[in-house]
Amino acid sequence: MARSSSLLPESDAREAALFFVVAALCFLAVLAALTARGTYTAAHAWSAQVEGEMTVRLTDTDRRGAEEAATMIAAMDGVTEARVLGEQELEELLAPSFGPGGIPDGIPLPLLIAVSADTDTSALADAINGALSQGGYVGVAEAHSTYAAEVRKALATLRVAAIGMVILLAMTGIAVIAFATHAALLARKDIVDVLHLAGAEDAFIARLFQRRFWTLGLKAGSAGSVAALAVTAMIVFSAQSSSAPNELLPKLSLDFWDLAILVVSPVIGGLAARLAARLTVSQSLKSAL
Amino acid sequence: MTRPGPYFSGEPAVELNGVSLRYDSADEVLSDINIRLKPGTFTFLTGASGAGKSSLLKILYLAHAPTSGDVRLFGQQTSTLSRKQLSALRRRIGVVFQDFRLLDHLTAFENVALPLRVAGHKAQDYSEEVVDLVRWVGLGDRVNAHPPALSGGEQQRLAIARALINKPDLLIADEPTGNVDPEMGRRIFRLFIELNRRLNTTVIIATHDMHLIGEFKSPVLKLQDGMLLADSSYEQA
Repeated sequence: MARSSSLLPESDAREAALFFVVAALCFLAVLAALTARGTYTAAHAWSAQVEGEMTVRLTDTDRRGAEEAATMIAAMDGVTEARVLGEQELEELLAPSFGPGGIPDGIPLPLLIAVSADTDTSALADAINGALSQGGYVGVAEAHSTYAAEVRKALATLRVAAIGMVILLAMTGIAVIAFATHAALLARKDIVDVLHLAGAEDAFIARLFQRRFWTLGLKAGSAGSVAALAVTAMIVFSAQSSSAPNELLPKLSLDFWDLAILVVSPVIGGLAARLAARLTVSQSLKSAL
Repeated sequence: MTRPGPYFSGEPAVELNGVSLRYDSADEVLSDINIRLKPGTFTFLTGASGAGKSSLLKILYLAHAPTSGDVRLFGQQTSTLSRKQLSALRRRIGVVFQDFRLLDHLTAFENVALPLRVAGHKAQDYSEEVVDLVRWVGLGDRVNAHPPALSGGEQQRLAIARALINKPDLLIADEPTGNVDPEMGRRIFRLFIELNRRLNTTVIIATHDMHLIGEFKSPVLKLQDGMLLADSSYEQA
């Protein structure tokens, strides 16, 4: 005996349109989720990098004096490394201000000491400034964390916006499915009536619709996720092949958690569709035969 | 019209007391209907078009609740039943609709099996029984056909097979022979009578066919303008 047909007819043009809408919503939700996670990863990595860094700017001294100052700083508690930046490094650092022509001759370049620390850099900056004064140097130590706070705040705002976007898209998806289920129920009223008169309970009929929309949600969600994966892969590829600095771009590395988002999103989409369908049908049938 | 008295012991299969029906704000389509049918009776329901036959049948197969009055089926007052209990009660009723109400996307086999499937039976348990019944109504070679591929008469026979498959306690048929030839009409009526006699199924058949009514000599309920005529056999004792 062949497998019994579904008691609901196969999908029609309306469901094809719904498939597209759910796939698009899932695509956007996955991109937003990846952005939220990428932003978090970028903020975390960048913060971790700059939290332990500081720069000491020296004036009224020569390179030899700067080397001695660096040796003095390196000996301080909490400092893991202190080194004077070379001319090449300075030029790279100042390149954004002078353009591709490089730094004009005759402009005096500051002497900078890059300091890495494994302790609170704000407190260490004060200690270094004190040590520089005592040693007869004219200079100032600046912790990078001072500037990182603003960047972290901006990235946190972006992350909250992305998470908000995911929630909004999920709710939109549920509302769309609920609306579509109601429309399907009206379109299939003849079948629902026959089932009722044959003795079908509301739960039996609700199961037919929730099965249909679970499958649709899962398939459409998978299509949306695959599209999001393709777009993400393109962005990752472009970012990696670009020579432009991209430290502050969200980290789209497609690691385990990114892939987990891609895999879990269609399942969540399917479950949300199933739940929306069940609730809509159960509610609507209360006023039926 | 006086309220009938209890001429038999036990619960009636069908009992309507003062039933009226009005759609929205329109005039009443049924007025003060009182019927008691004991289990195992075979009754015709007749009347001109618009007399209220279909409306009365809809109340009997629980597609409509009356505007006023009580409906009791197998002793259960339908207005007090939960939706789950109503579903269980509907499974005891087989209905042959005037417009068949077959599901076009299902095969003949699947249409007939629908009440069993709804009741939770497994296909392997009922497939033989369904095929036998489909054969019996003369559609043995159309088991896998879909309703749009069947003629009006074939669809009607399919609808009858669907109504009979779960051996209902109450069989309600609305013009069940409207699209079949006289010989098939007689055959269908004989099937209803056989079902009535062998399984004690209560049968109510709405029909215009006075020739068949006369041939089978069963009690007749006559409806006119939504009311049962005083001379109709509304009491089956």
